[in-house]
Amino acid sequence: MTAADPGPVAAGPPVPGRPAEAGPLTAPAARRPWAAALAGNRRALAGLVLIALIALFCFAGPLLYRTDQVTVHLDLAQLPPGGGHPLGTDANGYDVLGRLMAGGRSSLELGLAVAVATTVFGTLYGAFAGYLGGIADALMMRAVDTFLAVPGLVLLLIMVSMFTPTLPGIVLLLSLLSWLSPARLVRGEVLTLRTREFVQAARMMGGTGPRVVLRHLVPNAAGVVIVSATFTVADSILMLSTLSFLGLGLPPPHADWGTMLTGGLDFLYDGSWWLVYPPAVILIATVVAFNLLGDALHDALDVRLQRT
Amino acid sequence: MTAYLLRRTGQAIVVVIGVMVLTFALIHLAPGSAARATLGTKATAERIAVFNAANGLNRPLAAQFATFVKQAAEGNFGTSYSLHEPVSTLIAQRLPRDAVLLGLSTLLALLVALPMGVYQAVRRGRAGDHMLTVLSFVLYSMPDFFFGLLLVALFSVQLHLLPSQAPQAQSVGGVLADPKALVLPVVTLALVSLASFSRYMRSSAIGVLAQDHVLVARAKGLPEHLVLRRHVLRNALLPVITVLGLAAPAIVTGAVIAESVFNYPGMGLLFYQAATSKDYPILLASTLVVGVATVLGSLLADIAYTLLDPRIRYDRG
Amino acid sequence: MPPLLDVRNLTTHIRTGRGTVRAVQDVSFTLEAGETLGLVGESGCGKSMTGLSLLGLLPPGGTLVEGSSVRLDGRELVGLPDRELRTVRGNDIAMVFQDPMTSLDPTKTIGHQVAEPVLLHRGVSRAAARERAVEVLGLVGLPQPRRRLSDYPHQLSGGQRQRALIAMALANEPRVLIADEPTTALDVTIQAQILALLADLRARLGMAMILITHDMGVTAGNTDRVNVMYAGRIAESTGTDRLFSRMRHPYTQRLLASVPRLTQDPALLLPTIPGLPPDLADPPTGCRFADRCPYATARCRAEEPQLDGTAEHRFACWHPVDGPAPAEIGGKVADAVAGAATGGGEGAAATTGLAEGPAAAGTVVRPRAPEPAAAAAPLLEARGLVREYPLRGSWLPGRDRRVVHAVSDVSFTLARGETFGLVGESGCGKTTLGRLLVGLDRPDAGAVTLEGTDIGTLRGGELRRRRRDLQMVFQDPFSSLDPRMRVSAVLREPLRIQGIGTAREQRARVAELMAEVGLPERGLDLFPHEFSGGQRQRVGLARALALTPKVIVADEPVSALDVSVRAQVLNLMKRLQAAHGLSYVVISHDLAVVRHLADRIGVMYLGRLVEVGTAAEVHRRPAHPYTAGLLAAVPVPDPAQERAKRGAGIGGELPDPAAPPSGCRFRTRCPLAQERCAREEPALRSFGPGHTAACHFPLVAPAADSPSDVAAGRP
Repeated sequence: MTAADPGPVAAGPPVPGRPAEAGPLTAPAARRPWAAALAGNRRALAGLVLIALIALFCFAGPLLYRTDQVTVHLDLAQLPPGGGHPLGTDANGYDVLGRLMAGGRSSLELGLAVAVATTVFGTLYGAFAGYLGGIADALMMRAVDTFLAVPGLVLLLIMVSMFTPTLPGIVLLLSLLSWLSPARLVRGEVLTLRTREFVQAARMMGGTGPRVVLRHLVPNAAGVVIVSATFTVADSILMLSTLSFLGLGLPPPHADWGTMLTGGLDFLYDGSWWLVYPPAVILIATVVAFNLLGDALHDALDVRLQRT
Repeated sequence: MTAYLLRRTGQAIVVVIGVMVLTFALIHLAPGSAARATLGTKATAERIAVFNAANGLNRPLAAQFATFVKQAAEGNFGTSYSLHEPVSTLIAQRLPRDAVLLGLSTLLALLVALPMGVYQAVRRGRAGDHMLTVLSFVLYSMPDFFFGLLLVALFSVQLHLLPSQAPQAQSVGGVLADPKALVLPVVTLALVSLASFSRYMRSSAIGVLAQDHVLVARAKGLPEHLVLRRHVLRNALLPVITVLGLAAPAIVTGAVIAESVFNYPGMGLLFYQAATSKDYPILLASTLVVGVATVLGSLLADIAYTLLDPRIRYDRG
Repeated sequence: MPPLLDVRNLTTHIRTGRGTVRAVQDVSFTLEAGETLGLVGESGCGKSMTGLSLLGLLPPGGTLVEGSSVRLDGRELVGLPDRELRTVRGNDIAMVFQDPMTSLDPTKTIGHQVAEPVLLHRGVSRAAARERAVEVLGLVGLPQPRRRLSDYPHQLSGGQRQRALIAMALANEPRVLIADEPTTALDVTIQAQILALLADLRARLGMAMILITHDMGVTAGNTDRVNVMYAGRIAESTGTDRLFSRMRHPYTQRLLASVPRLTQDPALLLPTIPGLPPDLADPPTGCRFADRCPYATARCRAEEPQLDGTAEHRFACWHPVDGPAPAEIGGKVADAVAGAATGGGEGAAATTGLAEGPAAAGTVVRPRAPEPAAAAAPLLEARGLVREYPLRGSWLPGRDRRVVHAVSDVSFTLARGETFGLVGESGCGKTTLGRLLVGLDRPDAGAVTLEGTDIGTLRGGELRRRRRDLQMVFQDPFSSLDPRMRVSAVLREPLRIQGIGTAREQRARVAELMAEVGLPERGLDLFPHEFSGGQRQRVGLARALALTPKVIVADEPVSALDVSVRAQVLNLMKRLQAAHGLSYVVISHDLAVVRHLADRIGVMYLGRLVEVGTAAEVHRRPAHPYTAGLLAAVPVPDPAQERAKRGAGIGGELPDPAAPPSGCRFRTRCPLAQERCAREEPALRSFGPGHTAACHFPLVAPAADSPSDVAAGRP
């Protein structure tokens, strides 16, 4: 350590200070909270790997394993696994393995679309409600409470019974039901963040409301938001399968796992196991994977989350 | 405390009004009309007009809503288009049956989930915790209907142990008189809620276990089982109560499925049939009933919370 | 006869995700009945873990390493089955924890919690256990103990809760009491009461006590012997008097020197300990203090010194010092300014000072920005500020509208280049006042004027521009920086918001700010959580400086920091003030901190400013009994002084701010209060130039003429 160099005083800009006085900077072990949260968390990793494998199967699979999922071949119906059909064929003569790929694509796309739509809208809604506070917040949250008071399935049943279901329509409907949870979570998060000193510091600099919300509150609520989005994917896929079971899903020729499973259930007792268990296993595996990932992230980020 | 509960009740009333507006608007803004649904697609314009006039559907929406609110307050929800019975009678018949099914299954879920969550919190990160975690994830991720049908396939079709149908008796007593038939529906519903309840309990208990007062209790020389029973359980239960209040919609969703699977003549089945036949009065009334039940559920949960948490009991107001 | 407690080679390892943390390493000491041993050190030094290890209460992943031994009256506790160890916990050895707010079960009554250990260990009836609870609650000075039995923890004040916790620990008359920072979460007046209580109980019950603390002042007055811990090891161990007068370990010496004292010359910088303690998951091979030690040699880095010396005085150092450091060791503020401008800074002065005496003597001293006298008009003025918050539920019919009187009619001025210190207990309204000053909150009455402009009348863009002049430094360095922003973005944000400069100019300014607060430029790319607490507080200061404000309001700027780091930040604040002609309003509960930074001091009590004067005047000649009591309650790191004043200070606790006492608000706790105090509210009176106080029966005679404009607190 060297002594200060006593020299003439100049009014110029100060020269770099001495790092030693403030102590060494910590090693960048935890540079990115996200990466750190994921690495070393076996649950999250398992979820991610499973999701990646399933996505690969659904999106890359059809490139290697081409099947006809459009034309009905009644002469090929209900074939057990073997020959050209590793997982057999269904009542319409569709190859089950190929149909799992096609069905998975629409299930995953639907889940992701709903998650993105609800996350964006719910986050902004919740962030502004929490930031505005007072009467605006009260009104906005009563609206959320109202939707929450009616079970999603009930609303879905009413609406599906009125409109003929289409994929965009179902995405819209599921989104209408799923934005509530991120909105509530983000609002709760914002209410606690709002009192944090860095938000006050931003106000001290003259920062305006939208700036505070978008620059400080939303990024800091990102943990809750991502966790809730992950759960939304899982819930949407499940909800779609439930609709199929109730006979209100997407009409054929459309394929998704829920429809396949429901169709297969008719043959549950006559030995056509390949129509029931493959779609069930992959559906459950996907939902488990997203739930695992979400739960692990939730623990890792210590997010206070209420799944409602 | 009074002030808090008053405010909370005020909020609940606002939400109930919101639910009425929401369901009413939803049904009446829909394109597929009740008349066509009831009378069939070949119905003439004349017959539709008669139907609409008879059911007051040709009046302005605001007037229809006013009538709806007024009659709802009197317990009059009109007559079912398809079943030709007063909706209030239909609901009065079925609601008690739902109370039995949902009450029993929720109770069962709690009895298992609460100790399970505490156990997992205590053994956090060890084999037992991991196994139960995987189990609850699989349970949570299974479509309810598939789960129910699997149980039927196993216990009714394969083993012939339990009937595949829920009790069909009209009265609550009749339902309870057939406990064997109740097992499958109750277990199906309970296992579905078990997963989420136990997850809540686990994370809540983990939070409490990390608190200073638990360390203080151990420093007193308290054996671990007493530390858990006296100082962890009650504290950990508090946040779970709130969650329970909010769980009503999920439980109702489960009921719709379970009643369809097991053909249990409750509200869920009634609602499902009404949705497929566009029976507006039933849809409207049962949505309202469910909404009010949910609001009441979370209100009761908050009241229970204030009673169980001395901090709120004495502080608010 | 064996000693009451004999600890040998206590070594605790904790397995974590980062590897094995060597939290406690080779700690040995003995304790006799009736004796108090201090375990002293900064956070993370292993002192609390030592206490928990004695009871076998290790966190998950924690183990006592082979060879550790804890003997109570000759009986080995390490390795006892849990069932037998439990008969010792809460019975022979009891523990009092730091935070009375979280250490009691919120859902159980006080009576239940205090009676619990009695029921457990004595096998008496429920009724007898309750009687014992009443008895010990009385013993610890809780008023109306029988009525308290059915109370829940949240119904008690912080001081009362700590008394209840002590009662719980004492219920079975333990032979050893381990008190882990028992007063850290309490106000200084309550701290004095609790410490006096502990000393009294120890004497009456003949217990042995282990007092774990980071506070050298608390150590001085309340211990017989002290173990100074550093990085999991004992660095020095000796009698309290000897430790404070003849310490041998450089760490002890620097730690003691870096504590700001009331009597210190504010023109001198505080000596600091540069750097941070080592990571205990990967401790250095040699002496653990070597990296921060001015005397460290190659041997220190290679070879670990063992605890050695005479039986009365043991220390672990290859190059021991002899006694305390000279007061001027840290160097002068003025020199530091000059030094900073030439490439040094207080870090340089501090690290070289010990070996070479005051650094950079004889350099050109930049004059301290305009003297207070030169500025006729005050820079910042608070006039009759009032802020009241309605209590929840007070809108209900049939209920009185209850309001918390957070700030009541407060007036004072701040001159250019001056530092005004605000002190008071928590709940006195000082933080609310700070928020009013910077415009984060608006007063219900009165006004804050900056250079003659009432900031309350400003709106929109005008307000935004004026905000530049008024900035704030917050207490909690963990909450004041956005965790999702890199430091470069944190520091650029004020410039962006205010639209100052081009992107390139902003980047240059940000780099300049980093240098100014003594952080390396590569820190700009890091996130706040990668910095230590002290480093974050430096970033907070840099952010406040970014807009070149005229006034910085600092709310408890160092209370979240460890002693050695605290000194670094205090020095930095002084240097920045001198270099930029800043004016500070420093808010703190710590009189010594305020005394060190401030030119003038305002003492707040329950929303009112009860005394204002120059720092020296207020310290030397307090007029208000509250000020005097507050001064007496501050623990001084000097054993003789501390012992002399035991029992002094203020009794009672802060009354409910929603129902302040009539007349003088302090009267309920004032030793001099008379009937007039309840009837009549005292006005501010002059006690000399710039010295005013509001008291009917002041401790010094008021000035002959008491001009009316002193109410504004103007010098």
